[in-house]
Amino acid sequence: MNSKSVNAKSAKPRPLEGIRVVDFTWVRAGPWAARWLGTLGADVIKVEWPENLDILRQNRFTIPPGVEPGPNSTGQFADTNATKRGVSINTRTEKGLNLVKQLISVSDVVIENFSSRIMQRWGLSYEEMRKLRPDLVYVSMAGFGQTGRHHAYSTMGPSAQALSGLTFLSGLPGEPPAGWGWSYLDDTGGMYGAMCALTALRHRNATGKGQHVDLSQMITGITLSGPAFLDRTVNKRQSKREGYPPGNRTVWPGAPVINNYRGPTVAPHNAYRAKGGGYNDWCVIACFSGEEWVRLAGVMGNPAWAKDPKFDTLNGRIEHQEEMDSAIEVWTQTLQKYELMEVCQKAGVRAMPVQSSEDRVENDPQLRDRGMYTQMEHPMLGTWKFQNAPFKLDKSPAVISGPPPMIGQHNREVFENLLGLTIIEISEAYEDGTFWPPKMPKYPYIEEALP
Amino acid sequence: MTTEGTNGLQQDLAGPLTGIRVLELSDEKGQFCGKLMADLGADVIKIEPPGGQNTRSIGPFLADIPNRERSLSFWHYNTSKRGITLNLESLDGRRLFRDLAGMADVILETLPPGHLGGLGLGYEQLSEGNPGLIMCSLTPFGQSGPWRDFLSSDLLHMAAGGQMASSGYDQDDVPDAPPIAPGGGNAWHIAGHYAYIGILAALYYRDMSGEGQYIDTSIHEACAVTTEGAIAIYLSNGSVVQRHTGRHASPDMSTRIQLAAKGGDWVNVTRSGSNLTPARLKVLAEWMDEHGLAQDLLDEKYYSTESILENAFHITEVMADFFVQMPQAEIWQGGQERDFPWGGVRTLDDIMGDPHLEERNFFVQVEHPELGQSFTYPGAAAIYNGSPWTISRRAPLIGEHNQEVLCGELGVSQSELNLLAESGVV
Repeated sequence: MNSKSVNAKSAKPRPLEGIRVVDFTWVRAGPWAARWLGTLGADVIKVEWPENLDILRQNRFTIPPGVEPGPNSTGQFADTNATKRGVSINTRTEKGLNLVKQLISVSDVVIENFSSRIMQRWGLSYEEMRKLRPDLVYVSMAGFGQTGRHHAYSTMGPSAQALSGLTFLSGLPGEPPAGWGWSYLDDTGGMYGAMCALTALRHRNATGKGQHVDLSQMITGITLSGPAFLDRTVNKRQSKREGYPPGNRTVWPGAPVINNYRGPTVAPHNAYRAKGGGYNDWCVIACFSGEEWVRLAGVMGNPAWAKDPKFDTLNGRIEHQEEMDSAIEVWTQTLQKYELMEVCQKAGVRAMPVQSSEDRVENDPQLRDRGMYTQMEHPMLGTWKFQNAPFKLDKSPAVISGPPPMIGQHNREVFENLLGLTIIEISEAYEDGTFWPPKMPKYPYIEEALP
Repeated sequence: MTTEGTNGLQQDLAGPLTGIRVLELSDEKGQFCGKLMADLGADVIKIEPPGGQNTRSIGPFLADIPNRERSLSFWHYNTSKRGITLNLESLDGRRLFRDLAGMADVILETLPPGHLGGLGLGYEQLSEGNPGLIMCSLTPFGQSGPWRDFLSSDLLHMAAGGQMASSGYDQDDVPDAPPIAPGGGNAWHIAGHYAYIGILAALYYRDMSGEGQYIDTSIHEACAVTTEGAIAIYLSNGSVVQRHTGRHASPDMSTRIQLAAKGGDWVNVTRSGSNLTPARLKVLAEWMDEHGLAQDLLDEKYYSTESILENAFHITEVMADFFVQMPQAEIWQGGQERDFPWGGVRTLDDIMGDPHLEERNFFVQVEHPELGQSFTYPGAAAIYNGSPWTISRRAPLIGEHNQEVLCGELGVSQSELNLLAESGVV
């Protein structure tokens, strides 16, 4: 077992050292879950097959210019699968499946995000797997879960978001839903996958017992609309209504003043164009009290329009929101977005810039100061930045301590050191198609690992 | 045999976090993290200032009547917790808090950085007599850095974290639309999930080492790590994603995946163009043909991977013409029956009564005895087969458990409690 070398870079211990995870996940939510377990110190072994590549290994947008295209060359796979080991094994053969079973028998956690019942078809139901490892923690992450009449339905992030109600609550009234410009439920589903594994591991510490956690990616999204959910069940309020969803505001001009689940109903509360006029030159400003509004007026230099008594009250600011927002935007366009943030925050006014990906990597002094990105050598991508954990444990931190696996990269060390296969058996498994498709050329790192 | 309870599980099983005591000193930023721990079986004691916390003033309200005991937002985010009131600015309040901290496993706090330390209630002080204590501070920007003391809100985090830069409209759909911050308070959810991961990791580490620790969680960082491929795309080729209606922001002009159904509803088909294989296109075209709406999609010229890619925009338009004739549920479920991972853009009106959710016991009846009523709450996202995740009680009323906790567990006498109440400590 080779996780010691992976851990060498972190001087402090990590919480999940000694835990091994068999990671059957692919694309996004599942790999993201296992990534966090890996950064927390678990030995995560990603199981793949080159003829059925993880979609993120094929993401053409994240192969840097000048890098030879291929499954080991995409930036998005890299960040999503950092700090894992990787094996390639054909689970459709009896021999491959038996090796997978051996791997499970020496592991603590199995995590997968296939459609419901795929694992059962492989003979790897929870009941079967617990025969291999009685205190196993099994986290399944099917879109609709493993239980319920639609368990066989599958989802990707965008459709899970749609079905959960999250897509509908984003956008401008009277327009199509704007939705979420990324697979938010792959992020969230991933967090829940990690949360479920950690919770069940903690429960195992307390009781000695493992269990199956049947997570549904789609359902994770429904609970994120809790206040709206209760407004529906308790107050019977319909979701489809005038002025909802209210864009970036808490209430849309002219619409009835009904809580729109953005926190307190306040104005101003919007995005405003900033100087420069570029695609992401926007700043958001929110005033949560009359006092904050007075401070904003002060920052703007107490213009004559803002002295109009109609803006003195919250009701007045809501009633005259269009006029107020237009006037605020005249001022915001005189300063660039970071300047707006500085002058507002200095005066006790809530304001932040809309930050693009470039802004976060290059221009955000807070993320820089806090060390948000770790630079590490990646065999194909060169020096590459990885996103760190947003939580800092002072004694046993989460650490990105290794790049993602190239496909099949750790076959030899896993099967030789962990499962005790001989070199001859490993060579045979390559020849008979258990470890690599016979017709597919092997990457040099695989050839080099063979005797 | 035991009786079947919520989630179809045996009622006598305890939640996975049973035995963990949590003190929650948090507002909108941390209450969701506390709810997760409480619904999973931890004994979460929410500590509010006397008179109740400001989050009780956030709507919607029961029957739209504003009242600190009628906030549905507070109800949702504080299920399964006990609640006490304590004024930490008073000497007696601090003493009682220290006593509680001596019996706690976890403290979750969202006060401004340094505030608790200034009261003599920082991690150093509280862990002195309780070395296993875990304390998680969950704050807008973390405990250090140039933005540490900046004010924030959900909208501000969605701007700075990158959510807004990815969400909005195609220029053709809504010209000059602003970046859009999706609603629902998701900055707090994102941060709460990561704080939960940090706390559970610390609990696991404590099981192994006996040591507690301090966790510094930043909401800004939690949001900044939650934009999927946007950072990797920038790092790969320097391009910044463009916003598109109802689908992934991307560097290019991708095909639409959110198509109108009959009657003003919408359906999401994830990656309609590039994800189609000839075999799947065939299934789709034959289905459309049953309704006389396949147009030219049965033409052989489309049946190669290259041709599907080349004609992705046309195929999408033909699909759109079909969809708009069909009810939303028929489209997305018809797609699912044919192995397409589609979903209707559902509202909560559509979600209520979903039989799949009912079969997972997702809808939970929670009793409000003081109102003589029960209401339907959203339940668990996962079914733990050995230790249930479920709501055990409604959110606490203001100071509901003062007597139970302060007298019953800290040994404060009834007359002392009365005195503390009169002097504004509880």
